[in-house]
Amino acid sequence: MPSLGLGRLLTRERVDPTARRPRGAGTSTFWIFSIGSATLLFMGWLLPWFVRPTSSGIGYSPMDVVSSAPTGIGTFLVYLLGIGMLVMVLSPFAELFYRARKRAVPERLDQVRVLIAVFGLVSTVVVFLLTRVIQEEQLFGPIDAFTITDSAVWLTMVGYILAATAYGLRGWVIRRPTTAFAALALPVGILLPLMFHQAPVFILWAAGSLGIYTLLALGLNVVVGFAGLLDLGYAAFFAIGAYTCGSLASPKHSIHLPLWVLIFLGAAVASMFGAVLGAPTLRLRGDYLAIVTLGFGEIIPDLATNNIGKLTGGPDGISSIDQPIVHLPFATINFGINKEWYYWSVLLVVIVVIVLLRNLEHSRVGRAWVALREDEVAAAATGINTTSTKLLAFAIGASVSGLAGAFYGSIVTIVSPDDFSFSVSVSILSIIVLGGIGNITGVIVGSFVLTFVIFWMLQYLNEWSATLGQTINVPSLGNIDYSQYTYMIYGVALILMMLLRPGGLIPSRARQIELTSGGEEESLAAVQGIA
Amino acid sequence: MALIEVESMVKRFGGLMAVNDVSFVIDTREIVSMIGPNGAGKTTAFNCVTGLYPMTSGAVRFDGHIITGQPPHRITRLGIARTFQNIRLFSFMTALDNVMVGAHWWMSARVWDSVVKSPRARADEKRVEARARDLLEQLGLTRYAGSYARELPYGLQRRLEIARALATQPRVLLLDEPAAGLNPQEKKELMALISRLRDEGLTIFLIEHDMRVVMEISDRIVVLDHGVKITEGKPAEVRSNPQVIEAYLGQGAAERMVDA
Ligand SMILES: Nc1ncnc2c1ncn2[C@@H]1O[C@H](COP(=O)(O)OP(=O)(O)OP(=O)(O)O)[C@@H](O)[C@H]1O
Ligand SMILES: [Mg+2]
Repeated sequence: MPSLGLGRLLTRERVDPTARRPRGAGTSTFWIFSIGSATLLFMGWLLPWFVRPTSSGIGYSPMDVVSSAPTGIGTFLVYLLGIGMLVMVLSPFAELFYRARKRAVPERLDQVRVLIAVFGLVSTVVVFLLTRVIQEEQLFGPIDAFTITDSAVWLTMVGYILAATAYGLRGWVIRRPTTAFAALALPVGILLPLMFHQAPVFILWAAGSLGIYTLLALGLNVVVGFAGLLDLGYAAFFAIGAYTCGSLASPKHSIHLPLWVLIFLGAAVASMFGAVLGAPTLRLRGDYLAIVTLGFGEIIPDLATNNIGKLTGGPDGISSIDQPIVHLPFATINFGINKEWYYWSVLLVVIVVIVLLRNLEHSRVGRAWVALREDEVAAAATGINTTSTKLLAFAIGASVSGLAGAFYGSIVTIVSPDDFSFSVSVSILSIIVLGGIGNITGVIVGSFVLTFVIFWMLQYLNEWSATLGQTINVPSLGNIDYSQYTYMIYGVALILMMLLRPGGLIPSRARQIELTSGGEEESLAAVQGIA
Repeated sequence: MALIEVESMVKRFGGLMAVNDVSFVIDTREIVSMIGPNGAGKTTAFNCVTGLYPMTSGAVRFDGHIITGQPPHRITRLGIARTFQNIRLFSFMTALDNVMVGAHWWMSARVWDSVVKSPRARADEKRVEARARDLLEQLGLTRYAGSYARELPYGLQRRLEIARALATQPRVLLLDEPAAGLNPQEKKELMALISRLRDEGLTIFLIEHDMRVVMEISDRIVVLDHGVKITEGKPAEVRSNPQVIEAYLGQGAAERMVDA
């Protein structure tokens, strides 16, 4: 009988039977690096398209240099950089090509890519330094652009560093994904405001949308991903945090608590509400719980609209929320003016939350959550208090949301019921479904991708489309309002995802197998015949 | 000394009396089997003891205290652990994690310890992991510590379920058809394991269809049919009881056997 090699494939599944935890996250990280690098290089090249520069007019990308007048040694270098960018953008496809044919990626390919990346990195730095010592005109020839923006340089550099790491240290990235991820993401994250000092709007977006949504998604992931409880009204806790902040740090009630107190208060109040909502409802089966949370998510903004107890300011909400002013011996930091401080604060909080949630995930609590998600009856019979374990997930999820809410209130200085509609809950849920339910890395990537597309690109798509329309002489392109299509994008993205990658962009390994083999669910209450 | 006392247990599903006024006692360090034809109500009785089903009426005492009405996790924590007829492992957790879930309730790290990964949480985790690995080793599962439960061969899944139950530090182990689907070699190992557990001080209450297993290891056997306890006694007594033979082989079988 001809051997199909199936037997060998199956036995190879169990690579190291005594390993503590199954591996698998490593390759995801490799892909984040590989695709992230391509994206950054591409963005660096077309920078003004992605990051609106300030009106001061400095906002040119390598593209501008090339398209103006190709003379001068600098232009030549920029051309080469462009080729490097193309190689990196196309190379993930090459990788896919080999995979599709079940062939190993030749080592030579990796070597070439690392070489290009290193060369690109050096060239970028050289071009950048040259612009500081030589007149730009001598370097590039007569061009309209006077400076390549710092942001373009940074994006390009980071892109090449990612590429060099992914292809040069593939083994390390796959073996120690978290370390690799942290080693690169952390410095870039911290330095981002310096890279984009010419585009403060971008930094504000990174704090107010990307940061906040990442927090929200991390929190919801505890409830939905870890504990397996579907919560459709998660925005309610976000609202509670934001209103807590608004009430206690604004002229509204003449109370002015500092932000760092408020984030804890917001978290505490929200988790209290989480527990209050959870206690009576958590015995319900999954779908009923979803409906109750859906109702809760609708009630909270309604209560705020109705201005109960004159606390919430009705449909207008609460405005003029304080923005921290920190007096240091050598300087005064006004968060309202130096928005990058919001960014750094949110980043710090995101990092802390990630670390703490990872701790939880790999602790007895995290184990209990997974057990609960896998088989509630068996979990109960194994000594796990299912109700309190679920409640804990609910309260912790809510507290992260409340914390995000407090930050949000302070960043945007005005909270109103509209900010917390069902669509917010949907966005957060979409982020985690898209990114990979139950997997922290996946959730973070999901929040990057979705927030960038929805809250950044869609805003500028109208402009881009209008420009494109003018260029190719189809003026009607300028009349499309793309922001109307937000939900269509969610819908299409989710459908595609379910079809192509049901576990999300970066699925947790358990979910990956679970989805391919199916599983039945049965709640404890149902078995006991009381629900 | 009686460790588990079941008093007039009744469980009704609509019109069906799944367990009908059943009483029996299990002594400390005894191996008691419950047998009976399919649908006799054995698993239902198990579920009532472990709190998975609320009883219609009756009471269960454990170590002298009434445990009727307590939630399942409380009963497990009191010292009654169980396995399931249709294996209920946490399929997408590793074998090691499955066992560690069993240790969940007696771990000492508070939530806060887990959140900040305090020295206490680390020590606790380390201690429990060592204990879990120990259990895996005793059950011959060391090789599979890192594999997902569902990747294990069937027989080993049964063993893993026992390991998980043992991790809860039980005084009584309830096994629902532990030999089902095992090959003769595995059955032999299972019987050795059960005897060893008893020697170490555990009380065993099991449901089993394999008569060879039942007759060989049981101190006492409780026989159920249509929800009613028809007899109870030592293996030899039960084996020759005409009611039992009838329950298993149908009306008139006993007479025919006697005739033959
Ligand atoms: N949750 C339930 N709801 C309704 N009827 C049930 C339920 N659980 C069990 N029954 C019924 O109760 C009776 C006893 O079932 P049980 O599972 O206890 O039998 P058993 O003795 O364990 O049989 P087997 O040897 O096949 O495992 C059966 O008729 C079964 O259909
Ligand atoms: Mg049964």
